Amino acid sequence: MKPVGLTTTIPSEILFAAGITPVDLNNLFITDAKRTEFIEEAEVTGFPRTTCAWIKGIYSACLHGNITKVVAVTQGDCSNTHVLMEIYRMRGVETIPFNFPFGRDRESMVRSLQLLAEALGADLERAEEWRLRLNKIRRKLDMVDLLTWKEGKVTGAENHLFLVSSSDFEGDPDRFEEKVDRFIGEAENRTPSQTAVRLGLIGIPPITEGLFEYIESSGARCVYNEVARQFTMPFGGESLVDQYLRYTYPYDIGPRIDDIRAEIQRRNIHGIVHYVQSFCHRQMEDLIFREKLDTPILTIEADAPRVIDARTKIRLEAFIKMIRQRKGAEI
Amino acid sequence: MSQTMTLGVDAGSRDVKLAIGRGGEIIFSAVVDTVRFYLTCRNGGKELLLNRLPQMESAPDYSRIVATGYGRNNIALTGGEVIPEIMAHATGAVAQTGLGNFTLVDLGGQDTKVIQVINAEVDDFVMNDKCAAGSGRYLENIAAALGTSLDKLGECWENPVRLSNTCAIFGESEVVGLISDGAPVESILAGANFSVVARLKPMIMRYRPKVIVATGGVARNQAIRRLLEQETGVEVIQPKEPQLNGAIGCVAS
Repeated sequence: MKPVGLTTTIPSEILFAAGITPVDLNNLFITDAKRTEFIEEAEVTGFPRTTCAWIKGIYSACLHGNITKVVAVTQGDCSNTHVLMEIYRMRGVETIPFNFPFGRDRESMVRSLQLLAEALGADLERAEEWRLRLNKIRRKLDMVDLLTWKEGKVTGAENHLFLVSSSDFEGDPDRFEEKVDRFIGEAENRTPSQTAVRLGLIGIPPITEGLFEYIESSGARCVYNEVARQFTMPFGGESLVDQYLRYTYPYDIGPRIDDIRAEIQRRNIHGIVHYVQSFCHRQMEDLIFREKLDTPILTIEADAPRVIDARTKIRLEAFIKMIRQRKGAEI
Repeated sequence: MSQTMTLGVDAGSRDVKLAIGRGGEIIFSAVVDTVRFYLTCRNGGKELLLNRLPQMESAPDYSRIVATGYGRNNIALTGGEVIPEIMAHATGAVAQTGLGNFTLVDLGGQDTKVIQVINAEVDDFVMNDKCAAGSGRYLENIAAALGTSLDKLGECWENPVRLSNTCAIFGESEVVGLISDGAPVESILAGANFSVVARLKPMIMRYRPKVIVATGGVARNQAIRRLLEQETGVEVIQPKEPQLNGAIGCVAS
């Protein structure tokens, strides 16, 4: 199967149906030992320093990974991707746009899926079969999530890694499913964590290394990874159209807030950590979350893939202590 | 509050603040340049020897150490406790002012913190983004670029020139440009103070403050205090020892 890059989560069922191996360029970038060099390389090419590091990272990761075709999300993610597409083309990488229609309009979504299928030479009926196949794995990821917040047997970092991998199923759904099965089997036998302070992480997947580990070492646990969980399509659906209209991340913020509120209740979350990426338009969403959510919120920001810095540590430490003081005997 | 004689250490980015006392009562204090502090106290190993500091010669005995600030985890002092900065500053301001409900603005060397204190506990807090713009370091650089002192800077709040840049580095070149255009030094200094307050204002106003307590080295700047009152419309209280507030919070915690 030939690899095709993705700039964010898209209907991977269509790629599998076309006999294509999806490669989430974000995962390719962030797991590469040269991730810092990738950013430097993009800056040397001419990407401004004040551009999101994910954009610069996936630019270089694509070229280094010899990915010659990319599906780029041009509506519902990030406008930087538009220019990234132009630059990819200039470098000889074929690009295919994909839109999540802003108004969640059903007909537009049908059209978006058709266009993608046509561009990749996929049959949509076959893609629906793949939906059923991948759903089996997605629901196993629900189990990983349940083992995190309900059973206390999976760490925030493990939860993040497994859930975020559902953007491309690591390119091989069968192998990934086996990995998930093995993990669940192992995790079920663990002793539940006794950590009292329960945090939820909202916002795009963090670029910072050691964030979850630091939270755990400070006496708290991350029991909710909002966007990573959304990558697993937790609300399912009867068709690809349904499934990708229920996905919260690429549309207006209302359903995201409803989702976050419901999970705060269900998972008994004491505080929200809102991760924002430097130079990302989504930083502005912080003010909406602060107005709409009643739970204490800590906003942390990072620019590049580096180990968690002293400033972020100080904030997390104080936030966790503040929650503990406030909750007192309750926790 | 602990009734044990305690040494509070606030290891900041520019200065290390030391205070010794019991509960809210402080009987000794010192401020040591951060670089000098580590150069003097490092013992080759991890341990820091505070008695090497000339400032500590007259210090009274203490039996407990509580540290905070950026360097807090480097303060490898035997039996030392470590507390988060936010908690230290809130506790210090409560101990110094006797107030329970206020918005604390801590203006440090590279860092600005706004802490909402309700019933003498931290309710929420926000810190400046990853940049020294509008911090103490910015003001130091502006004063140095104009060849003036921080005391003089602290007197200038009238007729501020609008500065577009609060960047600790680029601010300097803007100031040089203004001088060459003939702007009065006092107005430029007032402009620098004003730009710090303008940067602080959104952080403070989100808490709809009723009383502001200003601490940190920069809070000694009276122009900042006046401009803060003018821009927020709220009374700004300055505790007796604004710069030592974090260290006092360590003692009182």
